[in-house]
Amino acid sequence: MPQSKNKFDAIVIGSGMTGGWAAKELTEKGLRTLVLEAGRPIVPEKDYVEHIPPWDMPFRGMRDQKKILRDQPIQSHCYACEETNAQFFIKDTEHPYTTHPAKPFRWIRGRQVGGRSLVWGRQCYRWSDLDFTANLREGIAVDWPIRYADLAPWYDYVEDFIGISGEALGLPQLPDGKFLPPMQLNCAELAIKQALAKSFGAERALTIGRVAVLTQSHQGRAACHYCGPCHRGCITLSYFSSVNATLPAAEKTGRLTLRPFSTVHSLIFDANLRRISGVRVIDSQSRTAIEFQAPVVFLCASTLESARILLNSTTPEFSSGLANSSGELGHNLMDHIKGGGARGIIPGYDDHHSFGNRPNIAYMPRFRNVKEKHPAFLRGYGLQAEGERQGWDRGAIDVRFGAGFKKSISRPGPWEFAFEGYGECLPHHNNFVEIDHNTVDAWGIPSLKIHCAFGENELAIRKDMSIAAAEMLSAAGARGIEPFTDDDPPGFSVHEMGTARMGTDPKTSVLNAWNQSHDINNLFITDGSCMASSSCVNPSLTYMALTARACDHAVTLMKRGEL
Amino acid sequence: MDRRQVLKLLALSSTLPAIPAELFAAFREIHSGLGSVPSLKVLSPHEDATVSVMAEMIVPATETPGAKDVRVNEFVDHILADWYFEEDRARFLAGLADVDTRAQNLFHKDFVDASPAQQSEILRELGENMAEAKAALADGPRGYRGALPEPQNNFYFMFRQLVLTGYFTSEAGFTQQLHEEIIPGRFDGCLTLNSSTTTKGN
Repeated sequence: MPQSKNKFDAIVIGSGMTGGWAAKELTEKGLRTLVLEAGRPIVPEKDYVEHIPPWDMPFRGMRDQKKILRDQPIQSHCYACEETNAQFFIKDTEHPYTTHPAKPFRWIRGRQVGGRSLVWGRQCYRWSDLDFTANLREGIAVDWPIRYADLAPWYDYVEDFIGISGEALGLPQLPDGKFLPPMQLNCAELAIKQALAKSFGAERALTIGRVAVLTQSHQGRAACHYCGPCHRGCITLSYFSSVNATLPAAEKTGRLTLRPFSTVHSLIFDANLRRISGVRVIDSQSRTAIEFQAPVVFLCASTLESARILLNSTTPEFSSGLANSSGELGHNLMDHIKGGGARGIIPGYDDHHSFGNRPNIAYMPRFRNVKEKHPAFLRGYGLQAEGERQGWDRGAIDVRFGAGFKKSISRPGPWEFAFEGYGECLPHHNNFVEIDHNTVDAWGIPSLKIHCAFGENELAIRKDMSIAAAEMLSAAGARGIEPFTDDDPPGFSVHEMGTARMGTDPKTSVLNAWNQSHDINNLFITDGSCMASSSCVNPSLTYMALTARACDHAVTLMKRGEL
Repeated sequence: MDRRQVLKLLALSSTLPAIPAELFAAFREIHSGLGSVPSLKVLSPHEDATVSVMAEMIVPATETPGAKDVRVNEFVDHILADWYFEEDRARFLAGLADVDTRAQNLFHKDFVDASPAQQSEILRELGENMAEAKAALADGPRGYRGALPEPQNNFYFMFRQLVLTGYFTSEAGFTQQLHEEIIPGRFDGCLTLNSSTTTKGN
C-alpha cells in the first residue's frame, strides 16, 4: 500500500518552463505540491558558469569537441550548448530515440531542475487572434477552443511576474505586453530600421527583441549586467528561468516538495474511478520504483516527453496511450521552421561601436499574410536580426602580420547585419511520435520514434524569408549580401509542440479549453504539447500563460468538488 | 568573498558602471583550477620553436604583450593533442614541416635559423598561398547561414586561427589588447569609438 508520505494535493511532472509555473501557482493557491524532475538539482552559486573567462576554459570556448561529439552529438547542434555549460544538456548516449533516416529530427533536451528554461533564448511574444483563428479560417486541423481575450489577462499576469523588456508597437498581429524599458538597438540595427521605414513604411518595423531579461530590478531580481551568455546561468537572476524565479516563489509557500532524480515512467489509471490514481517513478540514481498519489496531476514534461509518458501508460481501455480516445495523442507535431535569411555588410559607422554584451536581438514582426494574401504560402514568419561589428577572428584569412596587423585587427571590423526567420509550421496528423519498443533509455524506459518533416508550406516560407531578407538588405544599402536557405531539420528551433492538442471536440483533440484531458478529469497538460497551431512567434510565454490559467481553473474545480 | 556575497553586491546596484576588481577575482576563485597548462604533448622542441617564432611574428609584443608572452605555443600544442582529430593534426604537422622545406629551398636553413627578413618572406609566401586557396573557393557553396567559404585545410589559415584565438582569448589579449570586460555592467547601442578603445563591441 502506498504510504501517506507519497500523497500530495497535486503532482507536477517536470520543473522547467511550465512545471515551474504550475508549482508556483498551485502552491500559492494552497496545494501541497510535489514536483517530479528527472534530472539533478541546480544550485546557482555552484552550477552557474556565466563569468568564467575564456582563458580559464581548457579549449578557450571552442568546446571539448571530441567529448561533445562522442557524448552529445545531437545536443552539440544547439548554439547554447557550450564548453562550460554542456552539462545543462542531456547526454545523447543515455537518451536514444529513432527517426526515419530521411526524416531527421533534432531533439534538444535538458534534464535538470529548471529543464530547458536554464538555456532558452528568452524571446517573449504574445499570440494574437490572427494566430488563434488561423486553423478555423483556413480549415486546417482543429480550431483553437480559446481566443486572445481568454489569454490576455494571463499574459498580463505572467509578464508582471517574469519581467519582459521591450517596445510597444501597437501592431494587431503582435499584441503589446507589460514591458520593462527596452534595450537599445545598435548602430547598424538603427540604420536598417530607418532605411526600411523609408522604403517599406510601417509594415516592416524593426524593433528590439521582447526578452525575459530585466532592464531594471524587478520582483526581487537584479537588473542585467550585460555579461552576455545567459544560457550558462545568471547569478543575479536577471533572466527568467524556473530556477531563478518560479521555483523559489513556490518554495516560499512552504508547500513545495521538489524531488530531483525522479524519472516518470508512466501514469496509473483507475478504470473504475476514471481518474489518474498515481504516478510511477523510477529513482534516477537508485533505479528503484516508487509511486506517488495526488487528486490532480499536471503534466509539464515537454511536448515530446509528455507524449512519451502517456504513450507508455497504456491500459486495456487506452491501448494506444492514456487519454487518447481521439487518436490524436503524439500527432500534429510542429516546430518552427528556420534557416532562411540573409546577411550583408552595412557601410559606415566606422567610428561607432556598442558597449556591453546585449543578451537580445532585434526583431521584425510578421508582415506576410497580415493584410494581403501571399500567393505562395499560408501564415508567416518573424525575422530575428542582429547587427555586429566583425571581431578579431576576421584576421585569420588576412595575409598581414606584425605590429600594424595586431593593432588593426584589435579594432572592430565592418558592421555586419543578418536576418533569420522563424516561420509557422502547420499541424499535420502525419507528423507524429510513437513508442519504439526496441529502443530504451538508460533507465529502461521505451523511447520515441519521431516521424516529422516540413511540408511544402513550410519550405515556401523558408524560401521567402531568404528573398525578403535580401530584398530589405538591398533596399537598406547593404553590400556583399548573402541570402541563405539552410536545411535545418525540425526540432532545431527547439519549439516543438502539438502532440496533445487542445480543441472543443473530444473526438479530434486531447485537451479541452482549460488544458484538461477530455478523457480524464484530473489530468492537465500545459507544456507545448497542448498547442493546436504554432504561430510564428516564440512559444514559451504562451505556454506559461496557459499554465497559470489552467492552474487557476483546476483549483476552482477542486474547490467546487468537481475534480 | 563567497558567491552569495557577490550576488548580494551585484543585486544592490541596478547598473554597474564597472565591476570591482575584487568581485571579478571572487568569480575567478570559484572556478579556479580550470585551464591550467600542461607541458608540451605533441610538438617537438624544434616544432615548438618554429610555432613560437611564427606566432610572435603574427602577434608581436608591442606596448601590450604578444603571442610569446601569453604562451600561444602551449595553446597550439594543447589543441593538437586534445582537440584536433587525427586528420587535422597530421595536416597541421605536415604544414609545419613544409615551412622548413620552404626555408631550406630558399635559404638552405631551417625557418628558425633564417633572418627576420627571410622569415617574413616565408610568411608572405604562406599568405599568398592561403589567399589563393581562398580565391579558389570564391564561387563554391556558402557555409552555414551564408558564411563565405574559408580554406579550412590550408595550414597557414589553421595556424593563424589558432594563434589569434590563443592570443585574444588569453587574459592579456582580452583585457589589455581588446579592453574587453567579462562584466561590462551596461549596454550602449551606438557610441562614438574612443581612439584608445579597441573593444570590438557587441
